Amino acid sequence: MDVGSHHPGGLLSLLRQGLTIGVQFGTQSLEALLWVAQSIEEGIYADGSLRRTPDGIAFELDNPILRVGAFSDLSLRVNGTQVPGDRVRLRSGEGTEWRLGSSIRRDAPWELRPGDRSEFEVQGSFGHDTDPITVRIELRTPAIPPVVWFEFTEKPVQEGAAR
Amino acid sequence: MSSPSPPKSPVLLTSLSSAALLDGAGDLSLPREMRGTTVDWGGVMGQCVRLTGPWRVSLRSGERETTLPETLVSAERIRGGWRSHHRWGGYDLVQTIAAVGEVPGVVRSLDFARTEGTSADLTVVSSFAPFLLPVLVEGLRPCSFQLQTEADDLRIRQRGFGLAVTSNVAPSELLLNRASWIGGKYRGRVDELAIEYPLDVPVARTVAWRSLIYGGLERDIEPATALARGVVGEPSAAIGAVAGADEHWLAAAPVLRFPDAPALEGAYRSACAALRRLYSSPGDGLVGLVAGYPWYSAIWGRDLAWMLWAVLWVGDFEWASRSIDSVLRFQSRSRVPILGGEPGELAMQVSPGPIFFYGTSDTTLYYPLLIDGLLRHSGGPAPGPDRLRALRDMIAWGEGRTDPATGLLRNGGEAEEISTATASLARVRAGINSPDTTIWDSTDRRDHAVDIQVLWYRSLRAAASLVGTSPDHESDRWCALADRTAEAIRSRYRWDEEGYLYDSIRGGAPVGQLRPNALRAVSAGLLDPAFTKTVVRRAARDDLTTSWGLRTLSSSDPKYDPVAYHDGEVWTIATAWAADAALVAGEADLGWRYLSTIADRYDREAGWANECYRGDRDAPFDSCFLLGFSVAPFLTVLFERLWGLYVDARLPLLRVSPRFPASWRSASIDRLRFGHGVVALDWTPARLRVTWEGPGDLAVDVGAGPVAVASGTPCDLPWPTS
Repeated sequence: MDVGSHHPGGLLSLLRQGLTIGVQFGTQSLEALLWVAQSIEEGIYADGSLRRTPDGIAFELDNPILRVGAFSDLSLRVNGTQVPGDRVRLRSGEGTEWRLGSSIRRDAPWELRPGDRSEFEVQGSFGHDTDPITVRIELRTPAIPPVVWFEFTEKPVQEGAAR
Repeated sequence: MSSPSPPKSPVLLTSLSSAALLDGAGDLSLPREMRGTTVDWGGVMGQCVRLTGPWRVSLRSGERETTLPETLVSAERIRGGWRSHHRWGGYDLVQTIAAVGEVPGVVRSLDFARTEGTSADLTVVSSFAPFLLPVLVEGLRPCSFQLQTEADDLRIRQRGFGLAVTSNVAPSELLLNRASWIGGKYRGRVDELAIEYPLDVPVARTVAWRSLIYGGLERDIEPATALARGVVGEPSAAIGAVAGADEHWLAAAPVLRFPDAPALEGAYRSACAALRRLYSSPGDGLVGLVAGYPWYSAIWGRDLAWMLWAVLWVGDFEWASRSIDSVLRFQSRSRVPILGGEPGELAMQVSPGPIFFYGTSDTTLYYPLLIDGLLRHSGGPAPGPDRLRALRDMIAWGEGRTDPATGLLRNGGEAEEISTATASLARVRAGINSPDTTIWDSTDRRDHAVDIQVLWYRSLRAAASLVGTSPDHESDRWCALADRTAEAIRSRYRWDEEGYLYDSIRGGAPVGQLRPNALRAVSAGLLDPAFTKTVVRRAARDDLTTSWGLRTLSSSDPKYDPVAYHDGEVWTIATAWAADAALVAGEADLGWRYLSTIADRYDREAGWANECYRGDRDAPFDSCFLLGFSVAPFLTVLFERLWGLYVDARLPLLRVSPRFPASWRSASIDRLRFGHGVVALDWTPARLRVTWEGPGDLAVDVGAGPVAVASGTPCDLPWPTS
């Protein structure tokens, strides 16, 4: 998986901070913090699931985006451009019904619990072939209003190609 | 067999390192509304790690099969655990569930008896989905795990988190994702794991199946293996040890009697018992209290601070001191933006690993107060060099966030800083756009929330008192800054149109939102007596006060939403603030009504007190069923405001100025720990009887100046006439 560009300054800063944590609190702490970071990093986006479809792109999530809840708003951006809700459809997995992103409302929320999978299909033209694509999803629940977001960048595979 | 209705209240079983969550219907299943959806929080927690999802047991005999809840006849709490009685197909079953502390886990046993018929083969099927992630990551269940069978035990690992299953009966079959698994090693997706145990149950003999699920940190499992086998072989000692420690703790707590308010007396006992359930020593040398159940079961610095006030009043000075040390251990000494840490800052959350994060605007400010409080309650020893250095670093952290011109401390932007720090580092990114991290951390209260300023003022005062005089006159500087902050609260936050205080100041302009947080200024004694009463009475109006407690935001505010966590929901801690402020203002009946609102909870919620309720009706919403915030401030108000106690065991001095309702005729406290002694108080409208058992004399001031009370001799002090 293409992990996108890592800024050298950022990596050096990370290294310094990692060393600081290790020196002050011990390497066990550093290791344990990495367990959490990796669990989040690898627990949400279904690795390698981004693919091109005849109408656009599709991808899968293995978990809610950090938070569970009944979400009343969904916003999706591809390569920085907002995709209208009627061009996004999603479902909980094979055998469940698709619904449009625009159908998600306070009185018709999208409910997510720990471990709930989601499949997304997005209509549109997003770059070419295996150009990396950045997808950002934003969700909001009335119970805790601050937006929860998730973003990944990956080279898509062509529909039907093996992951 | 039809199943009786499950109890409405959750069953929570805890040891210092583990927890079992269940609904009382027969399995470890606990469906709870959370953020508007239903999540099953049943299962096992160990070392602040959610080990499993719901842990279910089913039974199979021949062609017949049943789940355990379908066979339930009755259930009851027992010493150290929970017991249910079941009947099915000629079997009588007794199930016992308990959280044990020797190993961080939960033991579950089923005793089968067959009173008639012939000996029969029975299969117990135990199933669960592994989680293996700290509870702080509420929304995720990892998909990929490593499994390994070892003798008759099973171990599951997800990165450095792990669990083990050990039983007294060898399994006959393992099912992985509903397919037979021969055992050995497996790495991949695990949605469900089932273990089958064969039993031969002869007539007139009891046969036991027992299983223990334990873990948390994978590295701690191996050293606990022998102990775990001992526990599953004979769990009664481990269960008894947890119960014994609880009983010892409760027996040492003060006894409060309110003959004119038996419900309040009962609520005090329930609150003490609930507070004890939050005690935690989950590993890695950490000591404290977890914030709540089900989904805040880690040590949160802010929540712990609110709880430690109550821990001091119930006399557990040692636990308070060790808890403070646990938090100070993770004081940041340098800038760590990826964790949100600044020099001197204390952690928002700590759990075994150790795993910790910073990034709140208030956690650090509580601890100078707590160090001072510990000293006043216990009488000493005075803080050593390490605590004093930590204290100076806390204040320096606060000074770094303070506008020198106004004396106001800045809150907000903490989560944004973490997000910026990690922007280019991860292969995927996730975050929550919280602009602010005050106690109401899901709403925007930038830049200078009023309660943060009150806390800063109190923190500076406590720190100055602790360091005393020093060559560089730091305490003078802190006192001067405290005075400037206090003056700013009085002058810049006064909202005359509402008879209240503004919620914050942003960009130099006051934020006209009506929240309960302003009441903290009343409790700190920062307002003049007339305005104090005005503020308290304004808070009592029905846009902020409901019959079930205080809203986090006035219902007349355009931003009000009855289901918004911090913009409309009713919080028990806010109700405790209102009681506190009303009693300070001399509004005894109003304070009493607020306290009654909380007290009623314990009865209706089977000993628990929910975190929050909808703003438009008396129904929990997005609420932990037990939160330290809902328990501890209630306890503290009983001691500090209703009884009006102020302690300073260094002097030693006890001040007593009760604010009981006018109709009360008597009240008493026994076993109140004070320094190295204990004091008993017996109140009537005419006098206070003080019985002191401790070294030397105790100075007691009931409003007419200190009077020396000798140890061992009850002393009657008349109330001064005004």
